[in-house]
Amino acid sequence: MTALKKLTLSEPELVLALQSKDPAVLKTLYSMYSSALYGVISRIITHTELAEDVLQETFVKIWQSAAHYDNAKGRLFTWMMNIARNLSIDKLRSKDFKNSLKNQDIENNVSFVDEQNKVTFNPDVMGVKQLVENLKPDLQSVLDLVYYKGFTHVEAAEKLDLPLGTVKTRIRLAIIELRKSFN
Amino acid sequence: MSVENLKAYIESGVLELYVLGDLSPEEIVQVEEMASRYPEMKNEIAAMEHAIEKYAMQNTVEPSADVELRLFEKLGLNDVEENEVISTQPAYIEEPKIVRLDGSDGKVRTLRYALVACVALLVVSTVSLFITYNKLGDAHDQIASLNLDKQKFAGVVSKLEYENSGLENMAAMADSQEWATIKMAGQAFSPKSKMKVYWNKKDKSVLINYVAMDLPKTDEAHEYQLWALVNGKPVSLGVFGKTDSTDNEAIIKMQTIQQAQAFAVTLEPMGGSVNPTMEKLTVMGGV
Repeated sequence: MTALKKLTLSEPELVLALQSKDPAVLKTLYSMYSSALYGVISRIITHTELAEDVLQETFVKIWQSAAHYDNAKGRLFTWMMNIARNLSIDKLRSKDFKNSLKNQDIENNVSFVDEQNKVTFNPDVMGVKQLVENLKPDLQSVLDLVYYKGFTHVEAAEKLDLPLGTVKTRIRLAIIELRKSFN
Repeated sequence: MSVENLKAYIESGVLELYVLGDLSPEEIVQVEEMASRYPEMKNEIAAMEHAIEKYAMQNTVEPSADVELRLFEKLGLNDVEENEVISTQPAYIEEPKIVRLDGSDGKVRTLRYALVACVALLVVSTVSLFITYNKLGDAHDQIASLNLDKQKFAGVVSKLEYENSGLENMAAMADSQEWATIKMAGQAFSPKSKMKVYWNKKDKSVLINYVAMDLPKTDEAHEYQLWALVNGKPVSLGVFGKTDSTDNEAIIKMQTIQQAQAFAVTLEPMGGSVNPTMEKLTVMGGV
């Protein structure tokens, strides 16, 4: 049952295999984390094709810069998620993305705009859905912008017309809410 | 840093931004430096990371299956066996490699393939063009040789028509009672020559037929002249050209003569002579 074993490797094992450039580990890593990372990417970039490009770029970068990961500084997933988020934001601001927006015809645009404003949840995870719904609206709007739309906290402050400190506090409070529900 | 300051630092929200990757490089260094010093901060970060990871794991979206295929193809790892056991042996720590992160390697590779494809296409095109050019040359040669054949056949056909019309006339004259045929035989000047003259008994017209003559070829400066001998005197009936000419009608009408005892042909300078040059008497025959 190596296949099962492979899917549940512990993080230190994963990191070691990744840094020794074992090709099989990338498969493992992909099966463990691709959908979670794609969850992050596809909320920032709603255009499916571009989002999948970013997912691919994310794993390429994970593979190529594995040597730079230092587990003393944080969890592997945090590192990978930040790669995914940064590539998504880069893509969001790139020519490609702007061109793809131009190419949307009106019919697609309706659903595209809808999709862009929609936050979907895994229907199996009712607790989380409830949790985020239970977040106070002001916390939710900040988390939305920073987590889902790829805004920096500075941009979020501008967008919401709030002091930087307030935005930071709200991000903190939102994450504390998340922590409460998981710990 | 005092406990109060540490608490304030934590509560500023900077650690959340750190976990979300939303800090400048200097701030990141600062947070990491402090985290290594204060276990409390490190735990705080770990808890946040854990919460966000859980959150992400519960908000997954399945990408389409071909992303994985494309990924492994791009990295050139698509031959990895599904059931290969991952080595969990501690690996030696490699020197940090300088890796290009902008993905331009892939672009360069794609462009390289495109270049190879273009060159291949160019070679194929050039070869096809060359082959086509050769075939075109062959076609031109064929057309030229066909044209030559066509001209040859046209020549043959016109010669046959010419001979045919001459023969038809001869046949018609032989049938008719009106025409007298005078056979002229070769003389000393050209013993092998022979020729026929057709003389109409009614209207006294005189015809010669190129098909019914066998005279040597003339040069540029000479032509034949037909004479009638009337009471011992030669009377010119006109000149006629080269015997192999196909430009003229096969039948040529000469001048009429009311009476004659004999006909003769001499070779004369172009335009004919007033009196026949008897040394060049070619053929002669009595009526």
